[in-house]
Amino acid sequence: MIFLVDLAVVTVSCLVLGLASKYLRQAAIPAYIIAGIILGKSGFDLISSEASYDFIQWLGKVGVILLMFYIGYEFSFKGIKEPGRLFAGCTDFGVNFIAGFALGLLIGLSLLEAFILASAVYISSSAIVISSLIENKRLIYPEAETIVWLMVFEDIILAILLVVLTSVMSGSLTLIPVCLATTLLLIIFILTLIRRLSNYISPLFERDDEIPILLIFALIFGFSALAYLLGVSLHCHISEVIVAFFLGSALSGVKTSKKLFETTISFKHLFLTIFFFSFGMLFQFQFATLSSVYFILALLALITISILGKFASGALIGKRLHGSLETGLRVGAYTTPRGEFSIVLLAVVIGPGTGNYELLVSLVVAYVIILSIMGSGFARHGDKIGRAIAGSIKKLI
Amino acid sequence: MRISELPEVGTKYEIESPKGDKVAVIFLTTGEIELYVLEAGAEKPSVTRLTPEEARRVGSVLTGAVLTVEREDVEVSFSDISDLRINIHICPVAKGMVGKSIEELAIRKRTGVTVIALSRRGRSIISPPPETVFEEGDLIVVIGEREQIRACAREILGQD
Repeated sequence: MIFLVDLAVVTVSCLVLGLASKYLRQAAIPAYIIAGIILGKSGFDLISSEASYDFIQWLGKVGVILLMFYIGYEFSFKGIKEPGRLFAGCTDFGVNFIAGFALGLLIGLSLLEAFILASAVYISSSAIVISSLIENKRLIYPEAETIVWLMVFEDIILAILLVVLTSVMSGSLTLIPVCLATTLLLIIFILTLIRRLSNYISPLFERDDEIPILLIFALIFGFSALAYLLGVSLHCHISEVIVAFFLGSALSGVKTSKKLFETTISFKHLFLTIFFFSFGMLFQFQFATLSSVYFILALLALITISILGKFASGALIGKRLHGSLETGLRVGAYTTPRGEFSIVLLAVVIGPGTGNYELLVSLVVAYVIILSIMGSGFARHGDKIGRAIAGSIKKLI
Repeated sequence: MRISELPEVGTKYEIESPKGDKVAVIFLTTGEIELYVLEAGAEKPSVTRLTPEEARRVGSVLTGAVLTVEREDVEVSFSDISDLRINIHICPVAKGMVGKSIEELAIRKRTGVTVIALSRRGRSIISPPPETVFEEGDLIVVIGEREQIRACAREILGQD
């Protein structure tokens, strides 16, 4: 029963650090990652065995699948086609992705690794951004709407990036189209199947017993497993999390009780916390020591470019949509936090043994911890930052 | 009025007055309601978060509609006599009361509250005499201390 001790270590440490972060009014994501770093292999190594390490990683994977299911469930296509929103989304992607990609090449990563890094740099943390909009009482301002729709646009791009990257990572060039085609077919299969069966599924979801929650998990795990098995048989990788995303979006059209969805979200909260912990466990200190000048410089450059990138894209969006540089800079400040998606992207796309895997993971772990904390600070003082920068730009001109 | 969808947040209803003051109501996905007021030229908005029940009350005050009273409690206190608090309770008569008079039910003897008014088919009877017989659909107004009101709700009206 040694795994009980390991589970206690994970949940208790996450609880303590999570609570501390809430009292300090900080984002909780870095707290869970730090718990993983402290207690994992590069820290006190409190997890008892390799088997337990694997077990925690599995639970974390469930968390990622549930996160993507949730994003898919909440996702709505309508509304995104408005030209202003499309412009904002594309500007955000263009500026930040290119900045991240260029920097990735500059620090000596391969094309593919730079592409992965650029994706992680581009994508803001919806969780932190949206909760700070509410906490900091920004919802009445017009830019709040722009920011919320930016997050929706980023969800779409995330889905596309995940499909493309997992297919590309499958190896040989001939397999990439096969992989892409299979993924798309599977998505279409799920969407039509759920729509056809919705009349039969819906009454099952409205029952009072354990059947609804069992059905949800059976669907999630069933289709994820199908994606995995298809991938194995075709010698490529079909992303389970993408399947979960589209399953969620298909199920949002089926009538269910609100309670069922809330229950599923609580499972997401729990397993996603374990995922952050498990990702923290992968961090390797040898990179972060001061002797590793390369790592520190790369990290600093990455953080600088990420902040500048969001401010630049924010300024462009603000000028075009709200006719004000200052509003745009506020958009920049609010979208600075990076978090869950940067990590999820990395965790889903690459596995141990690929090129600079350890370096990339450690880099992104440190990057997300710093930018989620700095980003929440930026969000809290967004209006002051916006005014200060806009003021100094005016003086310069 | 502007209505906009904020995915993952909720729905926003926004009104701007000619003076430039802004009021926004946001129905959060959590089920709570946030009320924003941003005065023209103000640095920061004022925000309050309401439960659906509270929001409904604020809403009916704003629309100026007559409160549709099912079971309403009002507590009156006076600045001159600070220890005097009178509770007024308004409620429809219970099934068991129909056809019986105030005297028969011994409302004051059993619970301590006094029936001060009665509303029947849109007309009010102030200080109904003890022989008044309750009819179905009557609304009664009783007055007393909080404990007495509770006793009345329990014993006469059969509420919990």
